[in-house]
Amino acid sequence: METPTHMQWTGLSPDEARKALVDKDKSMRDKTMTLKEAVARFIKDGDNVGVGGFVNIRQPIAITHEMVRHGFKNLTLSFQSAGLAADYLAGAMMLDESRFSIKRIELAYWAHESFGLSPMFRYLAERGKIELEDWSNYNMSARFKAGAMGLPFLPTRSPLAGDVPSSNRTKIIDCPFTGRKIALVPASNPNVAIIHVSAADKYGNCIIRGTDATCPEIAMAAAHTIVTCEQLVDHEVIANHPKDVGIPFPAVDAVIHVPFGAYPGACRGHYYFNGDHIRWFHGAAAPMHRSGDSNALKAYYDQYIYGVETFGDFIQKFPADKLMADQAAEAQNCEGPA
Amino acid sequence: MTDQANYTAQEIIVVAGSKILENRKIVFVGTGLPMVATLMAKLTHAPEIIPVFEAGAVGPPLSVGLPISVGDSKTFTGASYVKGLNAAFEMTQRGYADFGFIGGAEVDMFGNLNSTMMGDYPAGYQKPAVRLPGSGGASDMAASCERTILIVPHDKRKFKEKLSYVTSPGHLDGSPNARYTAGMQGKGPYRLISTRGIFDFEEKTKRMRLISVFPGETAASIQAATGFELLVASDVSPFPPPTSEELRLIREEIDPTGVFVKK
Repeated sequence: METPTHMQWTGLSPDEARKALVDKDKSMRDKTMTLKEAVARFIKDGDNVGVGGFVNIRQPIAITHEMVRHGFKNLTLSFQSAGLAADYLAGAMMLDESRFSIKRIELAYWAHESFGLSPMFRYLAERGKIELEDWSNYNMSARFKAGAMGLPFLPTRSPLAGDVPSSNRTKIIDCPFTGRKIALVPASNPNVAIIHVSAADKYGNCIIRGTDATCPEIAMAAAHTIVTCEQLVDHEVIANHPKDVGIPFPAVDAVIHVPFGAYPGACRGHYYFNGDHIRWFHGAAAPMHRSGDSNALKAYYDQYIYGVETFGDFIQKFPADKLMADQAAEAQNCEGPA
Repeated sequence: MTDQANYTAQEIIVVAGSKILENRKIVFVGTGLPMVATLMAKLTHAPEIIPVFEAGAVGPPLSVGLPISVGDSKTFTGASYVKGLNAAFEMTQRGYADFGFIGGAEVDMFGNLNSTMMGDYPAGYQKPAVRLPGSGGASDMAASCERTILIVPHDKRKFKEKLSYVTSPGHLDGSPNARYTAGMQGKGPYRLISTRGIFDFEEKTKRMRLISVFPGETAASIQAATGFELLVASDVSPFPPPTSEELRLIREEIDPTGVFVKK
């Protein structure tokens, strides 16, 4: 049977995803490399990029900065709820579409909860510059899970009504077992997953503290996965507790040790949000959303992204006492009930 | 003891929201004021309430302060169970969430919510007049939590006859069994709390019905601020202003820095 012509797989089709894995070197080898090398090697123009984390928690910020410096065109971004990672990519597109561009986003949510809406998302969407496909958090999570399970879809009990199902490729069918309506959401198999984790060994076995978000599913669904980690640990540390591994090594292609890799967002056990910087970054983008004035946003990118070589240089721009305060705040978050 | 003049609309929403929650029930908590109201319930009449957050935390004591995100580290400390988004939503789909607590930018008379866009749908979908964040987990919670509690600031532009976009399904068009026929499991909107009063959804018509008015409001003043015809219960009760102890809890213990409850 051929794929129905109305189905557009925006990443890999299930058959392509299977083939990508069959052809892949799954050996247990040292995958440590620089972020520059990983981004150049595993991301291509036109790719569907699965973005890890949840809103501003454990988002792959360092990877997005390097993607901006490298420059990519016509990317599709797939995520459940994103904040800063999507903002950094979108801001680069706002400044120069010939240098960086997003063609399409498949999303459940793009904003910042208590830190407000994303002026970058509003700019791109309200000017009609990107294709939109709205889903829910569970829809996107189930789509990645279907991809991770080697299935073309999963049945779900949302979206079954309202306007979300007609905004996307959901199929609502009569369940062959109950006779009631059920939604089928198509698998998402991104070309590449970008994920920040708490700890990893050099082979790519990853430990995630706090929420898994949908990171294990995205990594297992994607053809390639780039992982940055707060801590690079010996394999023995991981092997002592193999059930704690959230993402297993064969799913990972590149491992880069990047402390503060989700900053100015938060990372469980390491640092809490730098709300001042998040607001400042948004403040730099807001004039462009309002009136097209790009000066503040350009100044931000020149100072923090294009003006530095590595993510470490970006982190060095923050006063040490601020970084330590965000670490101390997170330590307090983790203390637990007395 | 009360001080009628000395509280904000958000504060009375928090107090009203907390009172609707029941002890020893599982509540799936959306971001913002629902988090504050859940903490308030826990500190008052519902010490054994069990919060669930969509990023994966089940049953945290919330003893390290108000989370500012539903994936915040503060939702994990002391939790009984933590996985990720799929696990949280699968549990909800299974029937583990007694209440869902969500907000939206616009609501209609059947409790359908919009948090996606302003403009014409579908013609203007790819270039909306105002692009809002999107569903997040709200449409999943609306579909699968057993009963949902909605929070929407009350004015004519937000309480609308027709929404720009239906993100989170409520009672749909109000027809009998509309939700079940659509395939959903949960019973749908149970209460709505606005900045002016509290509403339920009348059993037969599924239409929004005023059941309690906040201080300074009347059924007429609330109808005047609503873009569709409200039903009014025969026994509308006045909702008391927050007590000084309730205000102290919100201002000093739950949200001292004004993350969600603005000063």
